[in-house]
Amino acid sequence: MSFLSLIFKNPFRNKSRALLSIIGIGIGIATIVALGAITDGLISSAEDTLHAGGSDFTVSSKEQDSSNMGSFGSASFNETWRDKIANESNIEWAAGVYVGNVVTKDDPFFIMIGLNKEHYNMVDLKIVEGHENTAENEIIIGKLASDTINKTTGDTIELDDKEYKISGVYETGNSNMDMGAITTLSTVQNLMDDEGNITSIYVKVNKDADVDEITENIDKKYGDNLTTIASLSDIEMVGEMVDMLNGASWAISLLAIIIGGIGIINTMLMSVFERIREIGVLKAVGWSSKRILIMIIGESVVITLTAGVIGSIVGFIGVEALTYFNLMPGVTPVYTVWTFLKAFIVALIVGIVGGIYPAIKATKLPPTEALRYE
Amino acid sequence: MENIAQIRNLKKSYENGNIKALNGIDLDIKRGEFVSIIGPSGSGKSTLLNMLGALDIPDSGEIKVADYDLTKNKNLNEFRGKKIGFIFQLHNLIPNISACENVEIPMFAQKISSKEMRNKSLSLLEIVGLKDKAEMLPNKLSGGERQRVAIARALANNPSIILADEPTGSLDSKTSNKILKQLTRLHEEENVTLIIVTHDMNVAKLADRVIEVLDGKILSKNDDSLLDSEISI
Ligand SMILES: Nc1ncnc2c1ncn2[C@@H]1O[C@H](COP(=O)(O)OP(=O)(O)OP(=O)(O)O)[C@@H](O)[C@H]1O
Ligand SMILES: [Mg+2]
Repeated sequence: MSFLSLIFKNPFRNKSRALLSIIGIGIGIATIVALGAITDGLISSAEDTLHAGGSDFTVSSKEQDSSNMGSFGSASFNETWRDKIANESNIEWAAGVYVGNVVTKDDPFFIMIGLNKEHYNMVDLKIVEGHENTAENEIIIGKLASDTINKTTGDTIELDDKEYKISGVYETGNSNMDMGAITTLSTVQNLMDDEGNITSIYVKVNKDADVDEITENIDKKYGDNLTTIASLSDIEMVGEMVDMLNGASWAISLLAIIIGGIGIINTMLMSVFERIREIGVLKAVGWSSKRILIMIIGESVVITLTAGVIGSIVGFIGVEALTYFNLMPGVTPVYTVWTFLKAFIVALIVGIVGGIYPAIKATKLPPTEALRYE
Repeated sequence: MENIAQIRNLKKSYENGNIKALNGIDLDIKRGEFVSIIGPSGSGKSTLLNMLGALDIPDSGEIKVADYDLTKNKNLNEFRGKKIGFIFQLHNLIPNISACENVEIPMFAQKISSKEMRNKSLSLLEIVGLKDKAEMLPNKLSGGERQRVAIARALANNPSIILADEPTGSLDSKTSNKILKQLTRLHEEENVTLIIVTHDMNVAKLADRVIEVLDGKILSKNDDSLLDSEISI
C-alpha cells in the first residue's frame, strides 16, 4: 500500500460526513464555475458588439448619457458624422446605427436597432425566416429575441403605441444584436424621438491598414465630439461593469473559501478526535509529525478536490440548464481553462488551509494520551 | 552481556507533581533478555514501558535505550520506528485497511517500494500464522487474530526491543497461550529483547527475570514480593 492510497481511503471511512463536506464545498465551487462562465460570457458578448460584423472599431459620442444602455451609455450624435468618418482615409465602410431601448408589453428593455439595409451584409446579417423589412411598418427580429418574447414572422409587435409587423427573423451570430430587432434607421430615430441622430458608427478599415493609427487620427481630429472604442477597456462604463462582475465573482469565491474552510476544519477536527488512539499508534510505530501532518492535510485536500470535480460538473450543468431553458437570454456562457483552474485552486487552498489546524492538533497529541484514550 | 536499556533514578509525575507515577527507577536490561514487569494497578508499569519506548518524556533521571539517549534525543520518532516494536492491550489496528496493510504501516518511514512492503508484511503474517487472512479487514478477524496482526506489525521494522503492555489482557487463556508462544519463540529464535507488562503471574514466570513495580519504584529482591507469596492479581 502506498502512503497516497491511505490518504485517499481515509476520508471516506465516514461516508456521510465526507459527503456532507463535499456537498458544502461543491456548492461553493459550482457557484464559482457558473459565475465565471457567465461573467466571461457577458464580457465576450460585449466585445462582440464592438466588433459587430467584423468591424474594427466603434465610434460614439464623447458625451455620456447613462440612460442609453443600448450604446454603452454614450449620448446620441448627428448622423452626418458618419459621412465624415467614411471619408477618412483607409476606411472600408462605416455604418451608422441607432441602438435604443423601447418599452414593449413583453420586454421593458426591448432593444431596437436602426440600421439601413445597405449595411446588413456588413454586420453579417442573415435572414433565417421570412424576408427583409420592406414597408415602413415592418421590422425583422433577432433569433434570440424571437425565442424570448415568443414572436415570429407574421406576428405583430406594439412599439410606442404603434403596430409593427415582423417580416422575418435574422441571425448575426452576435448575441447582443440577435437579442433585438432591426428596422430602418429613420424609423428607430422616430421611435426614439431623436431624428437625425445615431448612437454609434461601426467602422471597418481597409485590409492591412493600422487600426491604432486610424483611431488615433480620428480621436485627434474629432476628439471634441467623438470617441473611438476599439476594445472594451475603452469604455468607462463597461470597464466598471466588468470590474464589478469580476469583483462580485471574487467576493463569492472568497465567501466560498471561508465557509468551505470552516466546514472542512470541523470535518477534519472530528476525524482527528475520532482517531486519537490510531494517531497515537502511528506515533508509536515511528511516524514523524511531518508524515502525520501531511496525511491529515492530504485527507482534507482529497475531500476538497473531490468537491472541486463534482462542483465544476454541477456548475457547468447548471449554466447549461439556464441557457437551455432560456433563462439568460443573450448570454452565451464562455468556459476557459481559467474558469475551472480557478475552481481547483480555490478547492486546493480550502483543503490545505482547512486541514492545517486539525493536522497540527493531531501532531500535538502526546502518544501516551492517545493510547490511554478510550 | 551489554545492556540494551539503562535507567537511572528516573522520575515522572503527573497532575503538577501530585501523582508520582515513577519515583526513582533504576533498571538495566540486557540485550536479548526476556523481562516481565508486574505490580498492582496504578503502580507505574505502563508509564515505565512508555518511557522505554520513548512515548513519554521523563521529568528527571537518565534513560538510554539501544544507544539512544531518550532524555536528549530529538529524533524520537526515528528511534521508535527503528528500534521498538509496540504491542498494546488493545490491538489498535486501523479499521479501514486490510491486515496486510496494517502491518505495512510502520514501514512507511523506510525507503522501500510498495511491493517490498507487501512482501515483507505477508512474510510477517506467515510467522504469526495469518497469511491466509492477509486481505481481511480487522473487524472480520477474531480478537486473538487481531492481536497476532498487531504482533506482526510490531515486527515490521526488525526492532531490537519488543514492548508489550498486557498483550494478552483481553484474550482468553487458550488464545493468550498461543500469542505468548509466538512472542517467546521470537525472543528465542531472533534474539529480540522482550519486555512484557502483565497482571498474570503465569505469563510473568515465562520470563528470564521478573521485575516488580510498586508505587513507582522497583522492589528489590528482599522486599515482600508478590512472586514469593504467589498471589496472582
Ligand atoms: N497521562 C497521565 N495523566 C495523569 N495521570 C497519569 C497519566 N498516566 C499515568 N497516570 C497515573 O500514573 C500512575 C501510574 O499509571 P500507569 O498507567 O503507569 O499504571 P499501571 O501500573 O500501568 O496500571 P495498570 O495495571 O492499571 O495498567 C497512575 O496513578 C495513573 O493514574
Ligand atoms: Mg498499565
